[in-house]
Amino acid sequence: MKKYIIILWLMVLVLTAGCAKTETAGGQKTIRIAEQYGIAYAPVQIMKAQGLLEKNCPGIVISWEQMNNTAAIREAMVADRLDAGFMAIPPFLIGWDNGMDWKIATGLSSVPTGLVTKTSVNSLAELGEKDRIAVPQPGSVQHILLAMACDRDFGNPQKLDNQLVTLSHPDGMNALLSGGDVTAHFTATPYLEKELATPGFHQILSGNEAFGGEFSFIVGVTTKKLHDQNPEVYAAFNQSVGEAITFINDHPQEAAGILSEAYDLPEAEVLAYLTAADTEYSQTVKGIQTFSDFMLKTGYLKKSLENPGTIIWEQTDYED
Amino acid sequence: MKIKAIFLKPYAKYIWIILMLVAWEVTAKLAPVSPLAFPSLELILAALIDSVINGDILMQMAFSLGLILIGLGIGVVLAFLMSFLSVVSPVFASFTDTCVSIFHPLPGIALLPLIILWIGTGSMAILFVIVHSVLWPMILNMTAGFKAIPEVYKKIGMNYEFNTLQSIIRIFVPASLSFLIAGLKISWARGWRAAISAEMIFGASGGIGGIGWYIFNKRVFMDTAGVYAGILMIIAVGIFVEDVVFGKLEKNTIKKWGVA
Repeated sequence: MKKYIIILWLMVLVLTAGCAKTETAGGQKTIRIAEQYGIAYAPVQIMKAQGLLEKNCPGIVISWEQMNNTAAIREAMVADRLDAGFMAIPPFLIGWDNGMDWKIATGLSSVPTGLVTKTSVNSLAELGEKDRIAVPQPGSVQHILLAMACDRDFGNPQKLDNQLVTLSHPDGMNALLSGGDVTAHFTATPYLEKELATPGFHQILSGNEAFGGEFSFIVGVTTKKLHDQNPEVYAAFNQSVGEAITFINDHPQEAAGILSEAYDLPEAEVLAYLTAADTEYSQTVKGIQTFSDFMLKTGYLKKSLENPGTIIWEQTDYED
Repeated sequence: MKIKAIFLKPYAKYIWIILMLVAWEVTAKLAPVSPLAFPSLELILAALIDSVINGDILMQMAFSLGLILIGLGIGVVLAFLMSFLSVVSPVFASFTDTCVSIFHPLPGIALLPLIILWIGTGSMAILFVIVHSVLWPMILNMTAGFKAIPEVYKKIGMNYEFNTLQSIIRIFVPASLSFLIAGLKISWARGWRAAISAEMIFGASGGIGGIGWYIFNKRVFMDTAGVYAGILMIIAVGIFVEDVVFGKLEKNTIKKWGVA
């Protein structure tokens, strides 16, 4: 009997050890932010490199969590291991639709997005049944943009759904350029530019064409818990993102220097991305109502968004 | 003592499963956990039933199982050839040994970026991952099985003047069958896992995809109950294959012959 008690006790210890987590106790100035790489997340990197959060909220303890996937960020927020993260609008809406207690705190960036194909394909209609289209994942902004274009061109948002292949941006680029069964790739900066610079590939649809206007590619999202229990940290977070964006817009050269170190890319290349005509860093959130209406109509969402104000925190700018 | 007797019965597994389900339900109902992380059994069951009726889950399961059967078939044939050649030729044996030591510890998933470049992202790529994960453990078990055959059995074969093919079928296979079945069990488990992982990365490359894709899809649309429903299906298939398929196979061969 004693043996069993010991075994049971060991099991309990092992199980509960996994539950240890960094708490955000009210009053304590702590924030856990998902860190992601890429031109679209440039202000996050600037915020980190320049210590903007530390400056705006002295004494703050920041833990930067490495994440490479929106679903992982959502899951980490459900598990209360993350307070803030950056993602596209559709994955945010899916979380909201399923009852997650979070809202958009800030816009972050709009970058060039587009569907790249072999030059033998000139339009969506020319994509045959044998063609495979790589997207980061179903429900991603790339997938929704493709569905929007299919809805407009063919009246059937699901037309190409059975031809999707889920591949991360770098894997998708490799698959496209290697000339295998993947013949199209819906991607974003900087993979988009790299693919377009390769002979034999061109863009047949841009994100803005698919959306029918401009939209925020990445927005910053925080949990209700952070916003309510730690208003000081929340305000500092928002202010720091704003300052980072202003810095990039006012001093692109310096920003490119910081980013080229962080991303291990040539400074001139980063500067070209930052200052591209279609790249815009702004705190204004654009496009939530359009995304949400479309996703409701096509069944990706169950809840209807009556007013964008209900899914963004007060004082956050938005336009539609 | 009575309680102990219950857990010695073959159905003990199911008692434990029921206990776990009860513990699950109590936690979901009473503990302050988010239903997004820890849905109750009703929600999971509802998601499962919904997927069976309205969705493709059964077809997706069949798709995954079909891929594995093909992969297992290819893997077993290749493993058999390599193992047999190794038994006959010491030179080939050293080659097989080298291959096993290089590839056996290499997870198929680690090869995925290369597989995408070599063969693309379709079912062929998933099949490649399955064969890779089936082949090496199967070879290990087969060569061990062939080596463990007592010399006297082979001599009996010579007495009967069996040719090579006859001695494979009549001597080598039956004499090492317990090793072969053990190898098959390991290979099945490895192949099953590899297939699901690969599906979760490639997705439905044309068509409905497999059960791994089902789970991935539920995950990205935040349908946690659906994710658990998919996992339940995988567990159910695992138990079915272990208990029914392999159980029957062992009962009718090695247990009947008394070689296990």
